[in-house]
Amino acid sequence: MSAEAQAPRALNGQAPDVFTPGGWVPMREYGEEEVDFLIVGTGAGGGTLACKLAEAGFSVVAMDAGAYWRPLEDFASDEHEQGKLYWNDDRIVDGDNPLKLGANNSGKAVGGSTVHYMMVSLRFRPEWFKSRSKLGYGVDWPLDWREMWTYYREVEEALSISGPVTYPWGPKRPRYPYRAHPLNGPARYLVEGAEKLGIQWTETPIATLSAPRGKAHPCVYRGFCMAGCSTNAKQSALNTWLPRALSAGAEIRDLAMAGRIESREGRVTGVHYRREGEWRFQKAKNVVVAGYAVETPRLLLNSASPECPDGLANSSGLVGKNLMVHLNQSVFGRTQDDARFYKAPPSLAVSEHWNYEDAGKDYHGGWCYMPPGPLAASWARLVAGKGLWGQDLLDEMHRYNNAVGLKMVGEVLPYERNQVTLTDQADEYGLPVPRITFSYGENEQAMIRHALGFMDQALDVVGITDRWQNPDETAHLLGTARMGSDPATSVVDADCRSWDIPNLWICDGSVFPTSGGVNPSLTIQAIACRTGDRIAELARRGEL
Amino acid sequence: MPGLPQPSDKAARLIAGGASLVASSVLADAGIEHYRGSFENRAMVLPLAGSALSILTDTRLALGARASGGTGALAMSVHAANVAIGAAGLGFHVYNILKQPGGFTFGNVFYHAPIAAPAALMVAGTLGATALALGKGASRLGPVPLASGRSLAGFAAFALAGTSAEAAVFHFRGAYHNPFMWVPVVVPPIAALALGKAAVTGTVGRITNPALTATAVLGFAGAAFHAYGVSRNMGGWRNWRQNLIVGPPIPAPPSFTGIAIAGLGALLLMRRFARG
Ligand SMILES: Cc1cc2nc3c(=O)[nH]c(=O)nc-3n(C[C@H](O)[C@H](O)[C@H](O)COP(=O)(O)OP(=O)(O)OC[C@H]3O[C@@H](n4cnc5c(N)ncnc54)[C@H](O)[C@@H]3O)c2cc1C
Ligand code: SF4
Repeated sequence: MSAEAQAPRALNGQAPDVFTPGGWVPMREYGEEEVDFLIVGTGAGGGTLACKLAEAGFSVVAMDAGAYWRPLEDFASDEHEQGKLYWNDDRIVDGDNPLKLGANNSGKAVGGSTVHYMMVSLRFRPEWFKSRSKLGYGVDWPLDWREMWTYYREVEEALSISGPVTYPWGPKRPRYPYRAHPLNGPARYLVEGAEKLGIQWTETPIATLSAPRGKAHPCVYRGFCMAGCSTNAKQSALNTWLPRALSAGAEIRDLAMAGRIESREGRVTGVHYRREGEWRFQKAKNVVVAGYAVETPRLLLNSASPECPDGLANSSGLVGKNLMVHLNQSVFGRTQDDARFYKAPPSLAVSEHWNYEDAGKDYHGGWCYMPPGPLAASWARLVAGKGLWGQDLLDEMHRYNNAVGLKMVGEVLPYERNQVTLTDQADEYGLPVPRITFSYGENEQAMIRHALGFMDQALDVVGITDRWQNPDETAHLLGTARMGSDPATSVVDADCRSWDIPNLWICDGSVFPTSGGVNPSLTIQAIACRTGDRIAELARRGEL
Repeated sequence: MPGLPQPSDKAARLIAGGASLVASSVLADAGIEHYRGSFENRAMVLPLAGSALSILTDTRLALGARASGGTGALAMSVHAANVAIGAAGLGFHVYNILKQPGGFTFGNVFYHAPIAAPAALMVAGTLGATALALGKGASRLGPVPLASGRSLAGFAAFALAGTSAEAAVFHFRGAYHNPFMWVPVVVPPIAALALGKAAVTGTVGRITNPALTATAVLGFAGAAFHAYGVSRNMGGWRNWRQNLIVGPPIPAPPSFTGIAIAGLGALLLMRRFARG
């Protein structure tokens, strides 16, 4: 259903209660009155920041183009139906390696992509925050890993992350709030392979509950995570940060698409957005853009004005540039026994060996690997892509229970040529459709070669036969409004505040200067927590 | 009770009652867990059969039946078999953990055959045998002297400590998400310490009786808490067929009650012995 045809739920002083079928919770409403903060996007970045700012006492309106779902009643065990969670608006892709966009990397819902993410919650390797000075590639972040370590902790507690009792890599970290989940079939193969190859592995720190928490049930290991989680075991922005934001007085506007940020005399004044079939204007003292790494630059570029002809916050010319993804290539094969890789959250075990080991690499950066667990239709699409059809495809699907695999999450370097720009084509709201240009460099090709070879070996040593490689998959979107210490080479500062416009902030995956070899949501949320604290601090000092 | 012979010995009946409770806890718990494990190994029925027979003999004794002659010998062999089955189970459970990828890790201890569970059957067997011997008026069980009550006090203290350690491991697995989960990790060890001290010194301290009584109560309260825990899983009690299996084990905590009652039996013996 197009967003235009749906009716918003967060209205008339109440918002859906995500923990009760048909339930409601009270919600403060601000009308069109000027609020302290207007946040565009309610995902990992925006949802977290909405909570932090509301709890710090600011008036907050957070809007999202997506719908406000109640997982217990709105999420079906049906991959097709759950397509309603993905950002499937028109986008044009090009470059040498055009990205596949939608299900695999962008969400459209209150709660953002975290509503259908896979919940893997890894911390950055500390050196990555200074990858230029410590490791000789990419750029340095303006953040210190020790400070990030405390914000990672805040997020891990807020999401009751289930993880191993001790973590084998990196500096000491406190124990995860909840215990790790039992390993599923493919995770056991990862563990055996790692032990045979003599490298370390661990149970994956993951944002789904291994014990009850409040009204949220523990995980039932059915594996529909990517289709949204109908038990609330998954700890998404939708059922963690946003309920807190609401009770602290934030207003959430669902099915509200921001089209343009208004600016005057070097400051932003509010946002034009479309809801219930009409364009409206919300005044705000500060605007935070948190639409993820395609929609954020798109909104900034589309908000160009005579004062800022190249788009807002773009004096460096870097808005939309340095788009990064993660390499997500995989190796699959066949087991003798039933592995049922679609059961339980995928990725219950991980090896970060090649994130922390630099010797013997002919490329920069790191990667980790874990087992994937595609649902039936996705698996059928994947194996059909190998050229299987008709009876061959049916036979392959009969062996679905015997498939296992390993999948990398690999660091992609920032290149200015990989970017988001605007086209002349208009979408259903009349807004310019974005163009996403992406190509791998030499470094990525070398990393892919190494990782595919290594993962193939890790499956071979545990007796997986009929192995084949899926060389062409990416995940996550990062980097199109990078943070930095120099206004000439970055878009925002360490506090996610734009260099050009002091009351315009960007707080989502776009601000990553480098991508690191781990899934990004924990880092996005940690940055949002830090930003929330910094904004409160700046306000106390009268520097907003 | 009509039809039954005179009560042989109050302490023996108390201990038999405790043994019967521990055996019931084993029967229900192993029943659910081994059903979950699809009785993959045929030996997985043994603890069910053993604990069921033990419940029969223990309950008879607890109700005051006199165990002598043939029935007594049969009952004694049931208890001996249960100790043996428990010991074998212990070995199997450890083996089951060690053969998992990664070996002896927290994850495997949490999610594979619970190490200490079969020990509960050994406890049931030992308590049953003790009660039986006392009921017959014997002053020893094999080489172990019974009359002073000190050996039984020591054994019950050890069993309480072990059961508490098991609760500690599994409540850690549940991340102590509910503060009440600390109770079985704190109270039974106090009772175990007091009882252990009594076993060593031969004199019963003041807190021993209240601590054992509290442990007995918390065993039943624990079952109620576990029932609440089951309700917090997806679908709650409506989905009982699944949630009884995945939720916290309702039959497990009453084994605290059983051991604590046997401990109270030991105190009776000790007092009687002290009076001469
Ligand atoms: C299938 C999948 C699996 C993933 N698995 C993992 C994982 O295991 N671990 C991990 O760390 N990360 C994972 N991720 C990535 C993670 O979910 C994202 O990196 C993260 O959510 C991005 O946060 P964000 O705040 O930048 O954007 P999002 O969370 O995507 O939030 C952006 C929100 O902004 C809204 N929006 C955008 N533009 C506008 C506009 N103009 N007006 C109004 N609203 C707008 C969108 O509707 C969306 O809801 C996964 C992602 C996907 C898609
Ligand atoms: S497997 Fe767990 S996290 Fe995934 S959808 Fe099911 S309950 Fe949710």
